[in-house]
Amino acid sequence: MKDAFLIQIDHAEGSLQRLVGLIERRGFYIADMSVSDAGAFREVHIAVRERDAGRCIHALGRQIDKLIGIRRVATNASAVDHQGVSVCPA
Amino acid sequence: MTAARPVQQTEPQPTTGARLVVESLERLGVEVVFGYPGGAIMPVYDALTSARFKHILVRHEQAAAFAADAYARVTGKPGVCLATSGPGATNLITGIANAMMDSVPLVAITGNVSSALMGTDAFQEIDILGATLPMVKHSWIIRDPADIPSIFKQAFHIAASGRPGPVLIDLPKDVQVGAAVASSPFPPDPPGTAQRIDPAQVRRAESAIGAAQRPLLYIGGGVRIAGAVEDVRAFAHKTRIPAVSTLQGLGVLPVDWPTNLGMIGMHGLRAANDAVQACDLLIVLGARFDDRATGRLASFAPNARVVHIDIDAAEIGKLRHADAAITGDVRIVLPQLNPRMPSIDPWIKQCAASKAETAFRYDAPGDGVYAPALLNELSKQAGDAFVAACDVGQHQMWAAQHCEFSSPHAHITSGGLGAMGFGVPAGIGAKLAQPNAHVVTITGDGSFIMNIQELATLRRYKIPLKIVLLDNASLGLVRQWQELFFDRNYSEINLSDNPDFAAVAQAFGIEAFRISKREEVGAGIARLLAAKGPCLAHVLIDAKENVWPLVPPGKSNSEMMHGDSQ
Ligand SMILES: Cc1ncc(C[n+]2csc(CCOP(=O)(O)OP(=O)(O)O)c2C)c(N)n1
Repeated sequence: MKDAFLIQIDHAEGSLQRLVGLIERRGFYIADMSVSDAGAFREVHIAVRERDAGRCIHALGRQIDKLIGIRRVATNASAVDHQGVSVCPA
Repeated sequence: MTAARPVQQTEPQPTTGARLVVESLERLGVEVVFGYPGGAIMPVYDALTSARFKHILVRHEQAAAFAADAYARVTGKPGVCLATSGPGATNLITGIANAMMDSVPLVAITGNVSSALMGTDAFQEIDILGATLPMVKHSWIIRDPADIPSIFKQAFHIAASGRPGPVLIDLPKDVQVGAAVASSPFPPDPPGTAQRIDPAQVRRAESAIGAAQRPLLYIGGGVRIAGAVEDVRAFAHKTRIPAVSTLQGLGVLPVDWPTNLGMIGMHGLRAANDAVQACDLLIVLGARFDDRATGRLASFAPNARVVHIDIDAAEIGKLRHADAAITGDVRIVLPQLNPRMPSIDPWIKQCAASKAETAFRYDAPGDGVYAPALLNELSKQAGDAFVAACDVGQHQMWAAQHCEFSSPHAHITSGGLGAMGFGVPAGIGAKLAQPNAHVVTITGDGSFIMNIQELATLRRYKIPLKIVLLDNASLGLVRQWQELFFDRNYSEINLSDNPDFAAVAQAFGIEAFRISKREEVGAGIARLLAAKGPCLAHVLIDAKENVWPLVPPGKSNSEMMHGDSQ
């Protein structure tokens, strides 16, 4: 299943590389991606698919959210939950 | 007549980027930097000669990162390491990864070729920002010397705040030599944002504890990082809930704490692993369900609900569902947790009986040195001032099992990365951070030789680090796995042609002696601890000794092998 993220990210050098690297390293395949300049930040639309059954899209959302320079993370999988209980692991 | 305007005092004069680096480190309160010079960082080294902090010249950049890491673990302040571009920078990488895996605040500073040469495969050019992206909390290439103070300030803050970790600052050479006035005054500390602890999750945790019959505290390294040792002790005392610990959580509760069952995991204690399998509620404090701790995750604590408390929201629910999830500093959360305790007396009795039944014994037959007994004795002789800086292998696991740590700060170990070569440089960093402690590096013959050159650093700065080298003439932990899981097909583990380590140490100008019999252990440890300068005890042990118990890789913690331990 594909899940989509909308991410707002600072312009800082290396920030896109950091984001893309994190997503792949955490076990997700990037199916689609677009980047646009939104003035004070960049907006990234990105569709991902888990590489295997053990991956949790909510955990990925929280890991992206932790990166320095991320202003906003939203996903269609359900709102990324900053404080709450993750539903992914068994 | 009006006095002349004191221009120099009000308007900052332009200075070089290198000078701004040194000034920034001074203003950030840095007391020691571990480093090694080279072409692309020479302007900073030029400015260093007038620095108010101390620079320790190590003999390999990896050691600079490891020493800075241990310095940070002991002080809680960021450790700083410095290297040139290319090979200097790549030599730091293992140390940066080590700090990432164990959540240590480390600031790594690298020189790079001039901006115009970056991207041209210039001499000693490496994209160190790119190479270290997976293992830093954040990183910068500074493009304008005027940004140096603000980026350094931010870097130290990011390294040390929240869940700590390493950061990297790359300084192209033109930025170091470029003239600049800092773009803004040294920025003030960012305002501390009060942590909002979700009261609903706290209530959930309290009711889970109130409903439990067999609750268990699962103590991780986050407790030390949060400075929450006293809070955990108070909570464990108040609730009487039995406790287990990860490798990094050792020392939070003293070994003789009645309900402390000790370390869990691959080389954990049987009472601890059994308690996890039997508990009906796991209260996880600053831990992340690392696979070395959990064994096969699917069968870890199979009957337990989970209360998970961690500063890092991304750890909660990553590997194990949390029934109550509290994102926050353990030190802030724990005092808010006031469960109505059910009667858990039968469970406490069960745990205490299991602890007594499965306790380690130190009466192994023979008159050769028994490493577990030696390490137990070492920690007892050194007492509360004991700090162990461990290398990686069987000796590391024996240290974790058998040393009696009075606090988690007393145990410095490469847990997440398991990096051989950590022990000696970590000992250097720890001893410089805590000169009055009995800092002892516990190492093996394989690990020791990986950073053996740092004996020269010990000698140069007369750092009275003590080293216990447990020499089994092999890569013991690998040999043990080959014996147990690869049909005794021993492959490339034989180190019987090791040098005479005592003679090597003496050649570096370091006092050294050898212990080969059990009867020499007590006096040998006393001599080591009493030595005024650095000192090495070269201890010969049986090459066939194994670490027990052991959970085979990929198996459940309920499937422990006990060998000859019980
Ligand atoms: C840098 C590095 N290389 C390889 C390993 C794999 N490894 C883990 S333990 C070990 C053997 C360690 O030997 P030694 O230091 O003599 O300790 P012993 O197990 O004999 O106590 C090896 C090779 C590692 N952890 N780190």
